Amino acid sequence: MALTCDNIVYRYPGASTEVFSGLSFSIVEPGFNALFGPSGVGKTSLAKIIVGEIDGSSGGVKADGMTRLFYSYNLERLPDWSSVGKHLDRIAPVSSESLREALIEAFGMADYLGLRFSQLSLGQQNRINLMRYLLQEFDLLIMDESLANVDEKTRESIILNIKAMFPDRHFLYISHNVVEVSKFCRDIVVLRDALKNPQTVSLTGIDIQNHQTLDKERLEQTMLEIMNAS
Amino acid sequence: MLHRRIYQFLIIFLMGIALLFLVKYLFGLSNYVIPSPVDLKTTLGMVYKSYGMDVASTLTVAIIGQVASIFLALLVGILGRQTTWFGSFIKVAAYNVQAYPIVAIAPIIFILFGDGFFSRLLIAAMICYFPILLSVLGIMSEPVKEIEHFYRVTGRMRWQLEVKIRAFENLGKLTTVISGSATLAMAGTIVAEFIAANQGIGYSIRIALYQSDLSKILVALFLIGITLAVYQGLLEVAGNMIKKGWSRG
Repeated sequence: MALTCDNIVYRYPGASTEVFSGLSFSIVEPGFNALFGPSGVGKTSLAKIIVGEIDGSSGGVKADGMTRLFYSYNLERLPDWSSVGKHLDRIAPVSSESLREALIEAFGMADYLGLRFSQLSLGQQNRINLMRYLLQEFDLLIMDESLANVDEKTRESIILNIKAMFPDRHFLYISHNVVEVSKFCRDIVVLRDALKNPQTVSLTGIDIQNHQTLDKERLEQTMLEIMNAS
Repeated sequence: MLHRRIYQFLIIFLMGIALLFLVKYLFGLSNYVIPSPVDLKTTLGMVYKSYGMDVASTLTVAIIGQVASIFLALLVGILGRQTTWFGSFIKVAAYNVQAYPIVAIAPIIFILFGDGFFSRLLIAAMICYFPILLSVLGIMSEPVKEIEHFYRVTGRMRWQLEVKIRAFENLGKLTTVISGSATLAMAGTIVAEFIAANQGIGYSIRIALYQSDLSKILVALFLIGITLAVYQGLLEVAGNMIKKGWSRG
């Protein structure tokens, strides 16, 4: 399974300039990968082009062996007519009972399942939203700031758990946090301004796993590479 | 909420009456033009029972017409929410038809159906139908993207869920529109009765007008206003109860 974007050209409706002009990159191996770049560079648009939520781009997105590509983002809401636990019950396939329990534990949401979405904090809302995507059958999950408003420690624990629980799935993590991206991701696609050529630079992150010790020197080196590339 | 509606009406009505008396005494107008407070009280005592029955008859027609309009508007609004040819056709048709004054069609309805119950009901329903339809169409055609996204991309979205999400998210607006349409239904029925019917408070107002009896008209207005205030208040209370019940799951 590989994700390849080949020579993507896209212009926002009504805009005079292109946001992507010949953008190319590929992510071959499954795992936790990142799409990094400054605000407004087009990360969300690129993510939506990849999953087919935006039309009108030229070039090609090839998702070899992948059929279920999902894009999740941090502003999504669950309807407030029942508790988040009931919502999870309704959208979780019957076969995913054990996964559901494991995710509730890993995301620290056991005490909040009886509450409605609007009664949760922003961080809890984002966690429950991400959980329901993880409960689906998917080949690629794009997480656009999906863990925003979650404290650093919990975020770290969640990411490490996701990596351990879904080793054969593709993740594309969109974040502005250079430390996080360097530390947890393997392939890091740095998206740059449309005027820069090439528009993407692919780097390799540390891809730290559960119970692994972080090499601080390597972390600094990766962070520097990302900052230089962007 | 119910009390507030009644207080609001009483304040406005009393201000109107006070203004009339001010004009009467300022310009020295006779009791024939603007009745005195004593005349008003006497008329109230004389006609409140029969006028009360008339208002009840008018309100019954208005409620039936409003309920029919709500169901029809919900049905058409749900069908017309989609961005299909049919959806666009319904929207354009609704916008164009609602721009036409329904009251102008009333004489045709009376000619075709006579001056009984059905004509009053039809006019009441038609007058409050289009504003409700436009609101329902607006609510149902507007996606709640941040909620619907998940269901759409995971293939779980069904039309029932789509309608449920949009209705739930706009329950406040729907309640306001339905409560507001009560005034339109009542106004529609009164106008229909005023034009040609042989029952209801509109008919009684027409008789009072022919007799140039302003005190009867003022009593009728008072009864219409207080009844409508109570009815709208009850609709709002019901709306809030539905909202709370739904939120409690």
